[in-house]
Amino acid sequence: MPVIVVASPKGGAGKSTTAVVLGTEMAHAGAEVVLLDCDPNRSISLWAERRPPPPRITVQSDVSEAEIVRTIKRYDADGRVVIVDLEGVASRLVSRAISQADLVLTPMRATTLDATIGIRALSLVAEEEEALGRPIRQAVVFTMTRAVKSKQHTAIEASLLGQGVDVVQPPLMERSAFSALFEFGGDLRSIPAQGRMEAAIGNAALFAAEIYKRLVEKAA
Amino acid sequence: MSNEDKPFTIDLRQLKSRNKDGSPQVVQRVDAAGEGLGFVDRSAKKQRGRRPSPRTGQVHAKVLPHVAEEIGNEARRRGVQQGVVIEDAWALYVKANNPD
Repeated sequence: MPVIVVASPKGGAGKSTTAVVLGTEMAHAGAEVVLLDCDPNRSISLWAERRPPPPRITVQSDVSEAEIVRTIKRYDADGRVVIVDLEGVASRLVSRAISQADLVLTPMRATTLDATIGIRALSLVAEEEEALGRPIRQAVVFTMTRAVKSKQHTAIEASLLGQGVDVVQPPLMERSAFSALFEFGGDLRSIPAQGRMEAAIGNAALFAAEIYKRLVEKAA
Repeated sequence: MSNEDKPFTIDLRQLKSRNKDGSPQVVQRVDAAGEGLGFVDRSAKKQRGRRPSPRTGQVHAKVLPHVAEEIGNEARRRGVQQGVVIEDAWALYVKANNPD
């Protein structure tokens, strides 16, 4: 099964939101999804406690550094997607999770600080590719973006693209529906309406479709 | 777009498990690669020192080693916690010093 590791050593970059949006959209599209909550803040677990997760989603909480490789392997089966949500720190848990990844997804807000710290995850992936002798696909997704792109956003994106970094389009925009997932649990189709729900669902679904495309493409 | 519309459908046959080495040797190599970039062990460490008693929630007072050993032996013989022996000793002390 493809393993997606959502990693950035920067806190508040939108890792848990990205993991829940991606997991719920993939489950809605028909995949069996396992969400591994490795963050001591337990954001994914809190989401799952609000109401039972939607069909085809399993959540496993409190996965530690010592268990991460074993836990990912336990869920390894065709037809499923494992999404690993990590704490926003530079830890050994992060490097071990990345060693089992098919895709490392680094969410970052379009700020210089997020980009500077988030780029460390990309460096780690490159280092692990060398250590493991296998390619690990990685991509950046901008989070909490606005309809009108800021100059900072444009510059950071151009810089990443210039370095050959895969930047997922569309970004995950700043939407009250995304943050409301953690208030109500469930998915974007089951929570009470928050702002422009159709736009939020459309954004989430297109984002998930782009990630799915990367999972099934043959390794370059 | 209605809520039931699916902008994409996942073909489960394409979601294939890929073999990834998770042997201790690989984990060791990955740890070394991560540590070079500051991705170090940040797992919660066990607290050092004496654990609180499960019976009273208190950390027991420390006594000299030979006394601790004797109290421990007596507690094991009676099948009680060491604190029970100390409580008995305290009751005797109170009785001896407060005859009324």
